[in-house]
Amino acid sequence: MRQYADFVPGRTFAHHWGRTVTETDAVLFATQTHQYQPALFNRRYAEHDGHDTPPVSGLLVFAIVLGLSVADLSESGGTFLGADAITFGPTVHVGDTLAAASVVVSRRPSTSRPGWGIVTWRTAGTDQRDRVVVTYRRSSLVRIG
Amino acid sequence: MTRYLEDFTVGESVDHRRGHTVCTADNQMLSLLTMNTAQTHYNSDSLRDYMDGEFAAPLLNACVALALAVGLTSDDMAAAALDDLGYDALRMPAPVHTGDTVYASSEVLAVDEQPGRPDVGVLAYRITARTASGVVLTVTRRVLVKRRSHWGARDAAFDERCHRAALDHLTATEEET
Repeated sequence: MRQYADFVPGRTFAHHWGRTVTETDAVLFATQTHQYQPALFNRRYAEHDGHDTPPVSGLLVFAIVLGLSVADLSESGGTFLGADAITFGPTVHVGDTLAAASVVVSRRPSTSRPGWGIVTWRTAGTDQRDRVVVTYRRSSLVRIG
Repeated sequence: MTRYLEDFTVGESVDHRRGHTVCTADNQMLSLLTMNTAQTHYNSDSLRDYMDGEFAAPLLNACVALALAVGLTSDDMAAAALDDLGYDALRMPAPVHTGDTVYASSEVLAVDEQPGRPDVGVLAYRITARTASGVVLTVTRRVLVKRRSHWGARDAAFDERCHRAALDHLTATEEET
């Protein structure tokens, strides 16, 4: 698994697997996390709102794209320090397939926790039509050495 | 009552009524559903080697914590939402574990026009999620919300259509007691 030394600013990662978002995913995630926006779990309402196929919560898109990046970026690391500028592009719909890639933005030793560093990455998620559906920055603690 | 864009005032605060007690399935199932391979979310043994053994119990996935916090606000803030635009400044000052009960409150930061879309506007609000031990998550959300002026009558007619058959059935039949 990758360590602090691997996260040279500018290094890019094309993350594994990808993920097609199914209606099961969309409805399970929306209902289990209380997203009471009817188009997310009611097909008739989604059509009323102007969708040909059911829309997917941005929170699920963010969670999947970040999930796909974990093995490359943060699985060996420490706690989540934050995410910024989470910005959505075109709405993801049921049946769309997500892919994810990241770039190292910066790294520095932690001042409060000796032996640990703070790494910041920028990540982009795309759909099968190569549209950017989400971008964000996130930071984690990563062990040094 | 669904709140439309016109119903929000900058500066108003809302303490959302419902809470959510985090269970193991929230963390394991939703982490694995979203391809998150960080073992801290589903393997208790892995904690021995994680952060010098600082944590005794699995940590709730930040994406799941975010979704739960946002979800707890959704009935009051986003029932008339059309689309999520983004989130910013997501921080988790303390970890969330199984058994913790999360509550959320919101503060409206801005109500703005959406250029080229007279039927909707942008609601910006700050979410604070707490457990018994204090603040566990803060984030700001920007979401596209319907205006009552354009959607109110349309949504009401749609709602009436969805329920007409059931209501007609009830009024046309006598309950047998």
